[in-house]
Amino acid sequence: MDQDMNRRLEALLETVQRPARYTGGEVNAIQKDWAGRTTFCFAFPDTYEVAMSHLGMKVLYEAVNREDDLLCERAMMPWVDLLEGLKREGIPLFSLESRKALSDFDAVGFTLQYEMSYTNILTMLELGGVALRGAERGEEAPFVIAGGPCAFNPEPLAPFIDAFLLGDGETATSEMLRVIGGGRRQGLKREDILRKLAGVAGVYVPALYEPSYHEDGTLAAFTPLVPEAKMPVRKRMELDLDAAAFPEKTPLPFTEAVHDRIVLEIMRGCTRGCRFCQAGMLYRPVRERSPEKLLELAKGLFAATGYEEMSLSSLSTGDYSRLLELIGSLNACFQDSRVSLSLPSLRIDNQLQEALTDTAKVKKSGLTLAPEAGSQRLRDVINKGVTEEDLLRSVTEAFENGWSNVKLYFMIGLPTETDEDLLGIADLAKKVVACYFALPREKRAKGLKVVVSASTFVPKPFTPFQWAAQDRLEEIRRKQGLLRNALNIRGVTFNWHDPETSFLEACFARGGRELSPVLLRAYELGCRLDGWSEHFNFQAWLQAFSDAGVDPAFIAHRAREKDERFPWDFVDIGVTRGYLWLENERALRGQTTPDCREGCGHCGLRRFEGVCPE
Amino acid sequence: MKMLVVYQKLGLHRFLGHLDLQRAMQRALRRSGLPVCYSQGFNPHLLLSFAAPLSVGIQGEREVMELPLGEPVAEQDFLRRLNAALPEGLKALQARLLGDDAAPAMARLEAAVYTIVPREAAPELLAAVPGFLAQTAIPCLRKTKSGERMDDLRPLVYNLLVKQGALHAVLAISERGTARPDQLLASLAAFAGVAPPRCAITRAALLDGRMAPLEDP
Repeated sequence: MDQDMNRRLEALLETVQRPARYTGGEVNAIQKDWAGRTTFCFAFPDTYEVAMSHLGMKVLYEAVNREDDLLCERAMMPWVDLLEGLKREGIPLFSLESRKALSDFDAVGFTLQYEMSYTNILTMLELGGVALRGAERGEEAPFVIAGGPCAFNPEPLAPFIDAFLLGDGETATSEMLRVIGGGRRQGLKREDILRKLAGVAGVYVPALYEPSYHEDGTLAAFTPLVPEAKMPVRKRMELDLDAAAFPEKTPLPFTEAVHDRIVLEIMRGCTRGCRFCQAGMLYRPVRERSPEKLLELAKGLFAATGYEEMSLSSLSTGDYSRLLELIGSLNACFQDSRVSLSLPSLRIDNQLQEALTDTAKVKKSGLTLAPEAGSQRLRDVINKGVTEEDLLRSVTEAFENGWSNVKLYFMIGLPTETDEDLLGIADLAKKVVACYFALPREKRAKGLKVVVSASTFVPKPFTPFQWAAQDRLEEIRRKQGLLRNALNIRGVTFNWHDPETSFLEACFARGGRELSPVLLRAYELGCRLDGWSEHFNFQAWLQAFSDAGVDPAFIAHRAREKDERFPWDFVDIGVTRGYLWLENERALRGQTTPDCREGCGHCGLRRFEGVCPE
Repeated sequence: MKMLVVYQKLGLHRFLGHLDLQRAMQRALRRSGLPVCYSQGFNPHLLLSFAAPLSVGIQGEREVMELPLGEPVAEQDFLRRLNAALPEGLKALQARLLGDDAAPAMARLEAAVYTIVPREAAPELLAAVPGFLAQTAIPCLRKTKSGERMDDLRPLVYNLLVKQGALHAVLAISERGTARPDQLLASLAAFAGVAPPRCAITRAALLDGRMAPLEDP
């Protein structure tokens, strides 16, 4: 950015909300010299507050910057006031560190955390001076890459992203950047660099594959066009988390992030096998970081940030094998410096009481439990191995230990769900309230608050429910109404989500390349920041589907045949399609599958040597 | 004992709001390992008080904060350790060890000195200053929690000078009344019959009742 542009940008910053989001210069931000380095802009397709809460960005930011030949800067989605201002002033979207336009970098990388951020990607590319379609990018243009959970069905974004990384990015990101930077220095053509990228383990280059379709629009074949294009594309895995890169000095936001604290990833993967859960399948096998390594990381992160709070992150913290030991050593280490420990997404079965007693020493936040379904029958269908007895015992213990806030998470629209299952949610809430009042008044904390949240089920690729239909909007609204009436209970608050967002998520989660014109059209119609309810415009989305000639109901509401070819079938996540179908059949029979630590369920991961513990 | 600290908020750090600044200072103190004190209770917080909040967008050249210390630290030592944890734009400039009985800086504060530099030349605005000051009352619309009310700004403007195209203002800032630089600008522009120009605003000093720097009790 030249001096004049810098001056105009700073004048603009004086007029926008929370300008500290755009200035960079945070403690621990890294600014490297550009000369001789391959340059990478990590672009987070949501606002600064969301981006700076995301652990993955911090991991890759440091992992790439540790390499002497590479550099990584950050860019985020601006809020509408700056967005309009940048357009008006003709200032390109820039990186926080050196205020370079996105188009100045060798590579720009997006993390795909949720489908509703896709229009932000188009917004950021255009604002950053990068052609939206890969096919329109010239030799000078950056390579646009993407990763994260939604990259496992990358097809709706195929025309816009040059290369996707499937799986863990700690080492793969730098490998990709070296192929790009090295290729450019050798004077290779863009096309040739793309082919080299396709040769990197875990990388998918959509331009090197060609889909063909049946008459009804479903996929007929998916063909690699060059030898480098692998079939299948197998995900990348970091098998030793103690050896994997983890941030030691995270940039400290000046303006508060949504989650503004030390985050320790204690474990990756989950052995439970809940049938709706995509992360549980994608991130197998389970890998733990050792308490020794975690304590060392925690000490370093505190010294580098001064944070007041620390949280443990994983899909199922209660399953971490040395949890009590870890909590004990963290509490002992940080008592004097007043760092409080919070434990999110604790499952409700094991070791809970001990964990609760320990954290209560430091801070009492609410207790969050996720039974997901209201009846035992439906919990068996989704393989959520939690009984009503477990749950009521857990809340009673929590109430006895001085907690009075309980959050209960459920899903509505699960396969085979009946109204009886839904009313079970209200029964459960009543029983939780009764557990509280069953305690003598002097033994319980004041101010009971039970929050019941019901999200709408979205069938996801790579789960046993990838064949399932999503409920239609009218049906979801009817079910929400039913619950609203049933949950009119003293002490209980009921939260529900707009089903429209879940419907679009269902489309983008399981759609193929036919969705890319829809996305582009929605963007042209002004859609962006779709994850922010004040900016979400459902009518514009419906218009976009109609203009592109795509029927969203066919993607969201249709149950698939056993043998239908899915757009994401070319990805090998380890768990096989055959296993997922078996799980689907068991689900419909109401048959549960044990945690794989209690015996191998033959999900397919053991095909790879040394991946699963014996 | 407690430490009075003079620090700056310059450059891009002018975009920090008061809460942002508070958090940044608390975290820097925690990183520094200095012997800070915490409140009692379930959610202990680091004890630190600021003489006067500074709005987003305004620079500060000599801002003042105070904190109790758990054990004595030499002033120079304190400065060195705190600055090792602070970015340049928030550098601490001076540290003064005070007795526990010293009145809090916030209570001693009486006025603040502002430099207001229009980003484009504003001759009409500057020319209006003598007439503006000659008024016996300066009505000023003030937004409050319960709505809007008219205030008289005149007694809160202690001094207003024009030097080299910039305004230098001494404005009241105490429990009895506070005038903010944006209010002054709006009133002056209205008096001059022009739109309020965009300005770079810097708070140059905080003063006590003797009109002496707050950091020299």
